[in-house]
Amino acid sequence: MHEFLQQLINGIALGGVYALIALGYTMVYGIIELINFAHGDVYTLGSYFSITILALIPLSQFSSGWELWLIAFAVILLAALLCGIVGVLIERLAYRRLRNAPRLAPLITAIGVSLILENIMQIWKGPSQIPFPQFLPDHVYIAGGVAIHERAVLVVVVSLVSMLVLNLLVFHTKLGTAMRATAQDRDAAQLMGININSTIAWTFFIGAALAGVAGFISGIYYGTTFFLNGYDAGLKAFTAAVLGGIGNITGAMLGGFLIGIVEAMTSQYISDQWTSVVVFSILILILVLKPSGLLGEHLPEKV
Amino acid sequence: MGSTIVTRWLLAATALAASSAMLAACSSNSNTQNANTQNSTAAGGTIIRIGADLPVSGGDASDGVPTANGVKLAVIDANKRKLIPGYTIEASVVDDAVNGKHNPSQGAKNIQAFASDPTVLAVVGPFNSNVAKAEIPLSNSLGIALISPANTNPDLTKGVLALQLRTSNPNAITYFRVCTTDDIQGPAGADYAAQVLKVKRAYVLDDNETYGKGVADQWAAQFQRDGGTILGHDHTVATQHDFHALLTRAASLNPDVVFFGGTTSTYGGEIRKQMADAGLGNIVYFGADGIRNDQFLTDAATAANGSYATVATVNASKIPAAQTFLKEYQAQFGQPVGSYSANGYVAAMTIVDAIASAMKSNGGKLPTRAEVLDQLRSGKTYKSIIGEFSFDKNGDTTNKIISIYGVRNGGWVFLTQKNYAK
Repeated sequence: MHEFLQQLINGIALGGVYALIALGYTMVYGIIELINFAHGDVYTLGSYFSITILALIPLSQFSSGWELWLIAFAVILLAALLCGIVGVLIERLAYRRLRNAPRLAPLITAIGVSLILENIMQIWKGPSQIPFPQFLPDHVYIAGGVAIHERAVLVVVVSLVSMLVLNLLVFHTKLGTAMRATAQDRDAAQLMGININSTIAWTFFIGAALAGVAGFISGIYYGTTFFLNGYDAGLKAFTAAVLGGIGNITGAMLGGFLIGIVEAMTSQYISDQWTSVVVFSILILILVLKPSGLLGEHLPEKV
Repeated sequence: MGSTIVTRWLLAATALAASSAMLAACSSNSNTQNANTQNSTAAGGTIIRIGADLPVSGGDASDGVPTANGVKLAVIDANKRKLIPGYTIEASVVDDAVNGKHNPSQGAKNIQAFASDPTVLAVVGPFNSNVAKAEIPLSNSLGIALISPANTNPDLTKGVLALQLRTSNPNAITYFRVCTTDDIQGPAGADYAAQVLKVKRAYVLDDNETYGKGVADQWAAQFQRDGGTILGHDHTVATQHDFHALLTRAASLNPDVVFFGGTTSTYGGEIRKQMADAGLGNIVYFGADGIRNDQFLTDAATAANGSYATVATVNASKIPAAQTFLKEYQAQFGQPVGSYSANGYVAAMTIVDAIASAMKSNGGKLPTRAEVLDQLRSGKTYKSIIGEFSFDKNGDTTNKIISIYGVRNGGWVFLTQKNYAK
């Protein structure tokens, strides 16, 4: 039994990272119906920004816990800001002109942007695994034979808080209203005086910033990063977004955690090698049986 | 309608072509760069090149670069001592890593490029056994000698599987190696674990590659013969870097050693790091030559202590004849040698010797690749900085020494070595 619980914790921590990335996928899809394949690489870029920022801070001079947590908080915000800017730049340079082009064009462009980002990261810090500074205290809580690392708690707390903030933003602010209006009907929204371009740019900013947050916490959780990590994580997060119902924020979160848990359980009860097979089989089943996903909305007017 | 479809596909094709061209530009860049730095050292005269195909970027670079340095040092020495009179030797080092990891098809491309350069008489490499699997058939059909400093998979030279690699000329050996093989390395590691570290319950992992799976199987078989128990044997997947679930499952079986057959580019260091998260931080982590490098120490960070690894060659610092080499290496590159630096040096020196002997027997003419191969197949005994050895009928070295290392205070420390030659 305690193996099951331990795997549940492993899965939730892994899923927390997927969930954060999935939020960006789902937001961008929700507003312009583009699967932004470069999003996974923005997540890796978040780790790279964090490493670069942390290298500038004399970490050894800070010993007390709360100072380090404060630094972590500042680095998260900074990495998120930088990733957000990158997200806006990607939208401005690669996607905006193709907004009314056939669907395939921006999709291929997205793959191109993904390759460009991967190569930039490879040139920037080299093609090896890069160590991520392990500066945060990591206590282990043991309860009933199950070990919970503070780092795993961090992953889950940060992703849940991010989702809550995002939900507030989307459903209780003017920008959120504009985003939902744009998602429903771009032309009508424009006629109502909404600035479509800036609304879409903000959507990219927020999605990419969340990926930046994910990049930081996964760096803390794993201790290393690699310029191609975003490829696999991006695919899994995309699966999570589809599983939860693409375009739906709570769905993306739920999908992320479910995918993480499915991976951990497959590893425990079937075999580690089968995790990807199981995950992508679920993707296919969902697409065939319930294309709108677990929490997907019915938006017939969009089809 | 028809025209929009055409435009779409044109767009798609252009985007794909552009991105793949960028990728290609990136990988070929690093190759030509390496070759160019070597070219600039040419001092005139007639040039002979020794190719070197090694992973000099990415997760394997901390193995590949020190090995390439060994080759470069051999070339510097050979030129200084005028071992091939009238000719300047150059080392042409190319990278077989793509996206940070050794890549069989890149290796094959490199061998083809070497084969089409008439000044390349033989090649040192590759480092990784799966790359060798892609290169040996080419070496065999193109008739260019390949001497590996570090491939340990036994199936590359021996048995039915080796014959499948040289279908063009089954009886012509073109692939040689100066390190010993995993049918010795794996058992040697298992013996050390069972008899010296006194561990009894092993969980075995490997990366499912030619080398990793091979050495893990050999290790596990011997560990059982030594009276140990194999609790489970699992394979990792290439893109995977979260091993928490896998290791949690391993931890539930209470192992006292985890063996990993693989390299640092297949996450040998991350596995050790995540063992600590899964509550396995205090048990022995055992690997083979794929993890005995600095990248492992970087990746495993504070969890590295308590790791052990075998290396399928002698520790050069224990050999009197290698002392000058070690000093020169330190002076030239400003860092200590890697696991296979001395082997890189010896592989290149063996090629130099073969070229020089071939020239002697054909009256001072530049030898052909076939004549170089004949010399390598002659069975002669080489006195080298890793001891005396010769190539047997399969191309394997008769030198069968395994050295064992452990991580102490965050650094690899030499523990012992044993000679398995009968």
